[in-house]
Amino acid sequence: MLATIVRKEFTEMMRDGRFRSSAAITMALLLGAFALGWQHYSEVNAQHEAARKSTRQDWLHQGDKNPHSAAHYGVYAFKPKMPLSLVDHGVDPYVGVASWLEAHKQNEFRFKPAQDATAIQRLGEMTGATVLQLLIPMLIVLLTFPAFSSEREQGTLRQLLSLGVRPAQLAWGKALGIALALSVLLVPATLLGSAALALSADQGAMAASWPRAAIMALGYLAYFAFFVAISLAVSAVAPSSRFALVALLGVWIFNGLVVPKAVSDIARLLHPTPSAMEFARQIEHDIENGINGHDTTDQRAEELKQRLLKQYNVDSVEKLPVNFNGIRMQEGEEHGNDVFDKHYTALWQTFERQRQVHELAALAAPVLAVRSLSMSMAGTDFAQHAHFAKAAEEYRRVLNRKMNLEIAHHQKPDDSGFTRGEDFWATMPDFQYTAPDLAWILSRQRLSLALLAGWMVASLVAMAAAAGKMRV
Amino acid sequence: MLEAQNLSKTYSGTPALHPLSLKIEPGEVYCLLGANGAGKTTTINLFLNFIEPTSGTALVNGLDVVQQPLESKRRLAYIPEQVMLYRNLTGLENLEYFTALGSTETFSKGQLLAFLDEAGLPAGAAEKRVSTYSKGMRQKVGIAIASAKGAKALLLDEPTSGLDPKASNEFSALLKRLSDGGAAILMATHDLFRAKETGTRVGIMKHGRMMAELRTEEFGHADLERVYLEHMHD
Repeated sequence: MLATIVRKEFTEMMRDGRFRSSAAITMALLLGAFALGWQHYSEVNAQHEAARKSTRQDWLHQGDKNPHSAAHYGVYAFKPKMPLSLVDHGVDPYVGVASWLEAHKQNEFRFKPAQDATAIQRLGEMTGATVLQLLIPMLIVLLTFPAFSSEREQGTLRQLLSLGVRPAQLAWGKALGIALALSVLLVPATLLGSAALALSADQGAMAASWPRAAIMALGYLAYFAFFVAISLAVSAVAPSSRFALVALLGVWIFNGLVVPKAVSDIARLLHPTPSAMEFARQIEHDIENGINGHDTTDQRAEELKQRLLKQYNVDSVEKLPVNFNGIRMQEGEEHGNDVFDKHYTALWQTFERQRQVHELAALAAPVLAVRSLSMSMAGTDFAQHAHFAKAAEEYRRVLNRKMNLEIAHHQKPDDSGFTRGEDFWATMPDFQYTAPDLAWILSRQRLSLALLAGWMVASLVAMAAAAGKMRV
Repeated sequence: MLEAQNLSKTYSGTPALHPLSLKIEPGEVYCLLGANGAGKTTTINLFLNFIEPTSGTALVNGLDVVQQPLESKRRLAYIPEQVMLYRNLTGLENLEYFTALGSTETFSKGQLLAFLDEAGLPAGAAEKRVSTYSKGMRQKVGIAIASAKGAKALLLDEPTSGLDPKASNEFSALLKRLSDGGAAILMATHDLFRAKETGTRVGIMKHGRMMAELRTEEFGHADLERVYLEHMHD
């Protein structure tokens, strides 16, 4: 019997011009978003690959110079783009994808598309994630709101219920019929997207992407199921189709626009982050004056000098067996690292607390749960950004230490022309980044997964209950 | 078999149906007569469990419709004044759908077409979408749905209103066949002539109260009209 209901709902929908046109529009948008994402991904990937190679070549062929100058010359670290990032850009446009690793400074990430975007673009960037998180739910609402209410208005519901059909079964049949109609739209889009990916991405990245793509797809399916179920529930109990539509658009706006916006503001209020300028100023201040505030650079240099003179039992820096400048620079570097650690740890803790607010707010709007899951599977969430940033910073510190120690151990105090060349630059291994594995990512998505599943189950229960309460 | 035991319905203090007791045996066609608002549709809605009785019970084949809402409905068929169908489906698809949901039997396409043909749907219309149908054609699909269900109890709410005399006549013939097959039929109607022709008993209702019950075989058509008008006279 369920199959009969599903088939009838599906047939009716396929013959409905409204379904055909709205599905065609959504399909076009989804494919367009995927195509743009794909083009962006292949382009950026090629650029990254080229830039990665060229930054290494630049490093190797920077010529003979003092290692400290080389540290200033620096290298760029590029965050690898996962194939699935074409579906969901996540926080990438805001946090950037490349970092310049140089002496003395832990740099902010660069190349943030959001910086170059106009205000209007920020509202309307058409990505796969936008279509999946906002437009498809809208399509579901538009297709589903009259499911029961218009049958009641047209009188078919009386006849249907006079047959002795269990109302909950009708609801399940309608839900599955709508799911089947949506799959006509989503399955080809998914297949096309996967095919495009499989053709363009390298095999290693693709192999890691399939399980993530599957989890992402399941997440979106659960999210769609929520919208189908809640639409049917409202349609079953609403006094009229018009009422059902207005109520469901309310749900859609609340979920997709009101809560996400409000939560960003609330998270910022609860856990304020310093402005970029203020953040830089604090770091500069601490580097200058010491973490405790009364330990200036000059004092530290003087202390270091006294310590070294005592250690090597000499009376002037010229007589030291090591190059004082190299040691001093490395000391300064390590002091700077402590300052960076202090400030960046605090900053990232604040971001993490903001993220927790977003995560919890999924109790009010399932879109926040699916968004978090989607970004994490696409490799574009903040956790994976921070993971990369830490690895890049680690590399920067190793590089600087290597340059400073080379000076400390090999530069004579009076040798102002001390240089090193390609042979030495090559002893610094290239930056290799291993992205976190799926288990690492999933362990950070437990709450979002649980809330998404919770929303789906709750909405299905509500659907069955509302159908049971339905009057003709 | 359809049975009402002291069945009544009150809407916020206003009685829509005063306690009614009624028993319709297999093979009987009971016609409810009365003006609009007399309680005919309320009675039918109570048998369908679409509204809850204020007191009393409605039984379909001995099953209490409130206690066993699904099982009791499986034993009855309902034809409203306007049979409403899915516009984007053909007549055949509508019949197939309602039959699949309402009947335990499964029918072949040939059998379903035979039901439509028997109900008088013009040949060739079965495969057309219902949005092109006239009221009479939709009514005939409704009849086909009812006869395919093979129900032992029929609830008809002014099923012939708006039908032309020929269609109305065909409908009566069909009712006769169903009642000969052992169905208990309760039909609300305004059509005194049709009531006399097809009904075995007639109940005249007014303001939610049963005023008189007659056996049609004991009265001529003119008598029925006279009795009816007497009761309608305030």
